[in-house]
Amino acid sequence: MANRVAIVGVGRSTQAARRPEVNDAEMINEAVRAALADAQIDINKVQAVLTNSIDGFDNFYLGDCLLVDGTGGYMKSGMKLHTGGTVGSTGAIAAFNMVASGMFDIVLTIGHQKQERGNSMGTLCAAAPGEMREFVQGAIGAFAQAAVQYMKNTGAKLEHAGMVRLKADKNACRNPYAHLRLGLKSIDDVAKSPILIWPLRLLDFCPQSCGACALIVASEKVAKKITKKPVWVADHETVHELQSEVVFGGDEEKSQQIAAKRIYKRNGITNPVRDIDCFEVYEPSSWEEMYLYEHFFLCEHNKGWKMIESGVTEIEREVPVNPSGGVLATNAIGATAMLRIAEAALQIRGDAGEHQVTKDVKTTLSSGLGGTNWTTLVLLKRSL
Amino acid sequence: MMTTKPAKPTTAVIFAGQLMLPYRFEAGRTGSRFLRELRDNKKIMGLKCTKCNKVYVPPRSTCKECFSQIDKWIEVGNEGKLLTYTVLRVARDAEKDVLKKQLPVAYGIIKLDRADTGFVHMLGEVDLDKIKVGMRVKAVFREDERKGNILDINYFKPVSKARKR
Amino acid sequence: MADEQKEEFISVEILSKISYNWSMGPYSGSLFTEMKENKKIWGIRCPKCKKLLFPPEAMCGYCFTEVKDDWEEIGDEGTIVQFTKAGMPIFDNRTGKFAFSERPLANIQFDKGPYIMHWLEEKDIEKLRLGMRVKAVWREQGRGRGYEDIMYFRIIEEKK
Repeated sequence: MANRVAIVGVGRSTQAARRPEVNDAEMINEAVRAALADAQIDINKVQAVLTNSIDGFDNFYLGDCLLVDGTGGYMKSGMKLHTGGTVGSTGAIAAFNMVASGMFDIVLTIGHQKQERGNSMGTLCAAAPGEMREFVQGAIGAFAQAAVQYMKNTGAKLEHAGMVRLKADKNACRNPYAHLRLGLKSIDDVAKSPILIWPLRLLDFCPQSCGACALIVASEKVAKKITKKPVWVADHETVHELQSEVVFGGDEEKSQQIAAKRIYKRNGITNPVRDIDCFEVYEPSSWEEMYLYEHFFLCEHNKGWKMIESGVTEIEREVPVNPSGGVLATNAIGATAMLRIAEAALQIRGDAGEHQVTKDVKTTLSSGLGGTNWTTLVLLKRSL
Repeated sequence: MMTTKPAKPTTAVIFAGQLMLPYRFEAGRTGSRFLRELRDNKKIMGLKCTKCNKVYVPPRSTCKECFSQIDKWIEVGNEGKLLTYTVLRVARDAEKDVLKKQLPVAYGIIKLDRADTGFVHMLGEVDLDKIKVGMRVKAVFREDERKGNILDINYFKPVSKARKR
Repeated sequence: MADEQKEEFISVEILSKISYNWSMGPYSGSLFTEMKENKKIWGIRCPKCKKLLFPPEAMCGYCFTEVKDDWEEIGDEGTIVQFTKAGMPIFDNRTGKFAFSERPLANIQFDKGPYIMHWLEEKDIEKLRLGMRVKAVWREQGRGRGYEDIMYFRIIEEKK
């Protein structure tokens, strides 16, 4: 029987397009210190450190060894995980598993990326087989193509993507740790942004950020001693798709749907809109957010655009999605999926500050998205 | 109905290509100060952790022993001891471009007198057969274009002690 | 403040070149040879779940079965399922530079089911519609580089 696991500390660094005043170890150190301060423990109590990022996306490799001076991992146990965009959540999931196993009581897990440094699209395209590299225009190409198909099959219009961006920006302006805080006033402001990849505009996509996020994960007996507000990890799930099937959008069943069905079934969730209070989903493009509403069964298939139109996913409303501003506002890829978990944990604790949602949050769902559309899900609860 | 099928290739089919990926490393506030001092003042600076009494060269902003943030800058001087070394005799073109030196070239770990850590650099003005571990060495800076990187120190050369045995 | 002394941060920029040699394996190797010499596209059918695998491989990723010899010609015609065109220069990881994409990119579904991502001959986005039928335009002299041996796909007629 697995041990119960809680998140007892959350730390975030500020995020920006460039952070020339810190090197990688120093940037990570900010998030680590913030998490230690939040948990009110000393680094000596941490037994293992996981350092997670996507190798190559920022032309940085071997973080687990090269970043020891910033991570606090000196002479400690730990490892590095490297997946795709899911890596922040995979790093959190690995920490949960380590503590659940009973072999560790306190584990620090860090997600980081310094995207000023490399070219993540170039490296992402490099993940395609050599013979495909000429034809891949990165994730943006895939999202643009999916949007063309979505608009044809449903009533969605470019304006709906503008509504998603507007919500993300309003929320980000209430989050001091968000990167893009543009102060957009209406969807017309979004429409003015130049076409990046037809028909999608620059503002339909996430930025490239430099930043880090850290979580301190503890066993039940330790969690209850060090904090009054442990956030319990109820469940997690990871589902992969085939590389050769990189078609975002469309009607075929996706990894998100499979992952959601499994986690809902295991946890008795029959009506996600009613049973889950807040969502932090991984949406690299405003279009993806609409698909995720559908994939996580918050609305019917092909009706995600109606959901954003209705406003029901705003901070003050019944189904808040991405109160932090989401990936659209902040994307240091290695940190991003972990931030979805960190932000959800803060919502449960009531510690999200200005971007705390209005309703009481007892259960949250955080999602991660990687490369050729694979999915992670983490279900957090105030009490088990 | 197709009756012909593709034949198995007689030799392996290889798809060759290349990636060209940009890379930018930011030294950060601490690292930048160290490099600026090399470039502008020909000085080697270290950071001291006052709790552990340990001086890091090159400087790092967190002490690895006690994890405190350190910001006490001190000049560590230009002289120190050679802890260990090797001689590079074969290198690829890319490596030679970086070192900007003719081979063979010796390099090793040098611990400056007021530092507690060593760092890697090259040796120059030295007879390769006469290098000894523990030898005293002194930094020789470039006099022409210094750029704010570790190669602003051109090399370390041996110095004899004032006292004779 | 009139005279603000800006703190100088030092950075190093380089372009790193990484060469690779990708082993295609016997199945994709056969495909590449057929594309080069005969201008034909082949897939292989999984003996268990019957999915048509493209590009062909030694094992079926869906049901984890080893493939046998059930090669099937896929043809070189299909339907546009998705398309896009870059409006700004896109980073090309083969050159390390940003460049404008000359043509639109499309996800094309062959009649037998598999997808291929490739360029479209028609440069004007306004003329494109989902569901258009397209056919590969091959290089005269194949290079044995698989998809690169097709230059682009040409619209042949609109599928209603």
